[in-house]
Amino acid sequence: MAQAQLEGAQRVGSRFPKFTFILDQGKQFGPRVGRLCLTRPSNCLPNHVIDIRTPNFLIGTSRGVVPHFSRDHVHSANGISWINVSFESFLEQTPPVPTYQAGSQPLHNFLGFDSSKHIVSLSLRDPLDAREMPPNGNSHVSALCMRGVRKVTPADWRSYVLTMQPDIAFALSDTPFTAAPHSQKRLTKSIERSAAWLADLLRPLENTDDSPTESTPTLNVFVHMAGGTSTSARRAFSHSLTETLHGLEANAVKPLRCLDEGVAGYSFDLAALHVRPAPLSTHHDRGGGIEIAENSLSLQNSESLAQTPTPNTAGTPTSLSSSMIEPLSFLSLAPTLDELLRASLDPLPVAKPRLVTDVRSPHEILRLIRDIGVDVFDAGWAVKAADIGVALDFIFPVPSEHDNSPDHRKRDIGHNLYDAKYAHDFVSLTDAFLAGHNRTSSSKTPVCPCAACSPVSSTSPIQHSKVDVQSHQAHSDDGTNREQFLPPFTRAYLHHLLHTHEMSAHTLLVAHNVAVLDALLTGVRTIISGHADQNEAAAIFAREVTRFEEVYDGTMSVLHTARDNWKDVKYARENKDARSVHSTEVQ
Amino acid sequence: MQFEVIAKCHTTRARVCRMKLAHGVTMLPTFMPVATQAAIKGLTPQQVESLGITLILNNTYHLNLRPGIKVLDEAGGAHNFQGWNRNLLTDSGGFQLVSLSKFTDITEDGALFASPFNGEPTMLTPEESISIQHSIGADIIMQLDDVVSSLTVGPRVGEAMHRSVRWLDRCIEQHEKSGRKDKQNLFAIVQGGLDPALRDLCLDAMIERKDQVAGYAIGGLSGGEEKDVFWKIIKQCADRLPSDRPRYSMGVGFAEDLLVCVALGVDMADCVFPTRTARFGVALTFKGPLNLKLGKHTKSMEPIDKNCPCPTCASGMSRAVLHHIVTIETAGAHALTVHNLVFQAQVMGGARDAILEARFPEYLRSFFFDYFGDAGYPEWCVNALRSVGVDLMQGVDLPLVQGSGVKWEYSDAA
Repeated sequence: MAQAQLEGAQRVGSRFPKFTFILDQGKQFGPRVGRLCLTRPSNCLPNHVIDIRTPNFLIGTSRGVVPHFSRDHVHSANGISWINVSFESFLEQTPPVPTYQAGSQPLHNFLGFDSSKHIVSLSLRDPLDAREMPPNGNSHVSALCMRGVRKVTPADWRSYVLTMQPDIAFALSDTPFTAAPHSQKRLTKSIERSAAWLADLLRPLENTDDSPTESTPTLNVFVHMAGGTSTSARRAFSHSLTETLHGLEANAVKPLRCLDEGVAGYSFDLAALHVRPAPLSTHHDRGGGIEIAENSLSLQNSESLAQTPTPNTAGTPTSLSSSMIEPLSFLSLAPTLDELLRASLDPLPVAKPRLVTDVRSPHEILRLIRDIGVDVFDAGWAVKAADIGVALDFIFPVPSEHDNSPDHRKRDIGHNLYDAKYAHDFVSLTDAFLAGHNRTSSSKTPVCPCAACSPVSSTSPIQHSKVDVQSHQAHSDDGTNREQFLPPFTRAYLHHLLHTHEMSAHTLLVAHNVAVLDALLTGVRTIISGHADQNEAAAIFAREVTRFEEVYDGTMSVLHTARDNWKDVKYARENKDARSVHSTEVQ
Repeated sequence: MQFEVIAKCHTTRARVCRMKLAHGVTMLPTFMPVATQAAIKGLTPQQVESLGITLILNNTYHLNLRPGIKVLDEAGGAHNFQGWNRNLLTDSGGFQLVSLSKFTDITEDGALFASPFNGEPTMLTPEESISIQHSIGADIIMQLDDVVSSLTVGPRVGEAMHRSVRWLDRCIEQHEKSGRKDKQNLFAIVQGGLDPALRDLCLDAMIERKDQVAGYAIGGLSGGEEKDVFWKIIKQCADRLPSDRPRYSMGVGFAEDLLVCVALGVDMADCVFPTRTARFGVALTFKGPLNLKLGKHTKSMEPIDKNCPCPTCASGMSRAVLHHIVTIETAGAHALTVHNLVFQAQVMGGARDAILEARFPEYLRSFFFDYFGDAGYPEWCVNALRSVGVDLMQGVDLPLVQGSGVKWEYSDAA
């Protein structure tokens, strides 16, 4: 068992929880299981430890909220333990409004997350947003809010992080969101800036004279692994994290000997690798709540990355660190995602958590677990599927009775509920799971615990007058056992809600899709940890992944169809609205 | 339906009633949120129930178009379809025919309209409206009425009233032979426009049919008429409608309108206002509406109302967070929708307690003082409440506001 105790001696007061990662089983590359453990200072709360088994997932926010969820859904949803907040939407005001939140755990409290249940991390940018942006500078990152582009300096970022006190902070990264290809000079700049900005976040707090103690909790910093689509640039960036610092650089982060000592985890934002940055003209509008980037979901697996543009070799090495990058023209083929991730991780310690954002299919998740050993994934793709009316329906490991259909078509990973075939389909959202209401003691099929498949009655409705007790008393006496699950919401109902533009559809689908993702990763952990011998575990896991790939359609064609249907319904409504503004919804 | 008056205000005509339907007990007076297309916008039925809401409304016109009667029949009715286990009311579809379709042609047989799907002429008869509502399976169903805009004048108003009575008879007949009278309850709708004489004629005819109807609605109002005319028609109808039947005022949703109606003897009301205004970023409070889009809320760390029991306020969600997300994120609409529904329920729940505890006049006075104390009282509310023995002006020195007096936060200047 390897353990990374992330004990920097950086003194930032006792406001920050202690974050550890324990790798139970696994090695540098290959499937692995572990535990993320967040311990809040004991004076904080009675329930001050949050334990997350890995592989697991985090859910991103849009303008600070989990898409389509009210706060009670965030609290009741299954498996949501890590929430990432991208700060850039708050740059609309100066100073950003969340910084006005007083008291302890300001980020949790401002956004209503539960500090006994939720790890909340903070990144400047939305890691899923790969649209083209104005270039970053030597001392700023270009971030996007509704009022336009904002320049954020490392000093700004440090101050936002120290004020908001997230459980985990992502260091600024110089990821180019300008039109590819990027020159070697640009890549060199990118890794130099990223390392410098990481160092800035790792600087100890000013005005702390008392010497730090062993147990002082520190700011927990994740670093984005820079280097773009160049394996050598990636290797160079990782080396810059582990090399012993000297002189001024060393002084600045003292007592850290190298940057990696202060790093709690590594993150890989695939968005910039998946697609060529799209022009900014299509601004996100979640107005209808279901806007998705035009180019998202277009590349489904790591193989497709071979088609992403390769940086040119414009410019020659100019600095010490860039001289480590081999000329890119020597590369005959663009590297695969695997190669890129391995290049970054190879020089780094094995026992730090690895986070990947913007995965786009369960297949990609499984391959990244099998081939790399990724520990945390973001749930963005499952939320986007909910945006376009898809109820996920897959299970891992695949049960033996799930053989290919007679016509040898692979199963879809979900249901496009816009499809007319669901109009009369009165069953719950998945075939792979049972609804709580339909569970039996004899069945081995697991239950989907989400708010759509296993709804439960409210146990204590708000009473608005003293006589209201008669309403609730009489109702629960009617034989309705409040502990029992209510019948599931059906595909027919969701089909209706989608075609009538009802927002409730997306709320129920996010709840469901997140629960299916949670079950996927639970299945992964069960397989990997079920075998004491690591090689055996890896082999069995690989067999299960192959079987999953054989049974479920990895091209995710159901998402493409759903997105077309979603667009049709959306545009049909917009056209209708253009004809008669007052036509929708009267009393 | 079991309907029982359990308390009466000693001064006004307000009362507290217990209405037991096939899906449980609803205490009256109550406000009914509108789930037009079988969903309260953005919420799940379990969330709605957790807010203490026991009666919601579905629109027959919309459900008949989508998902359609076949789907509802297969699902076993709208309760099953949408997962709502509490009481449900459906309108008859008549109002939407007139408000949504320019091409509706009313004949004695029924309403002839162009199908929004294929443009083909489609007839909605009273019998069909009732049988559609039987498929939906709501606990309370409404007669098909001949709806004219409340601003209509001339012989058309009388014609519509008389036709509504004739259509009521056809609805009663259809309902009587359905065998569903134990589960579904038919309400009549009093029409007659703004003409007290026509209203009286309609009341005469409909009260005559009392044994065949479970309750009465007051229709044809809330369409832009003068508020001083509105309350007088409500009062005229509520005064004459039988006391052992619930009285339902259609399309009423502003807090001050609700309380005036309750004081005049109304038991139920519905309106899309609280849910619709939520989607535009407006939170309802006992001090008047708050437009959270306004810049003044940008940095406010206060909840909408720290005394409000709704999940949004109870979670401490600040006006600043709401300002950041309303009209942009669906979650902003959800947060304000639950708040506004709880506000409506609190206004009505407060009225129930006050009537039971014999302090309803005081409740009215304190509500109006909190809500309008900074601007002055709408004169029509003062007039309406004086007609039932409550003088809002007693002991207060406030200006009277002409017109509707509706309170609103329009701009950053407010």
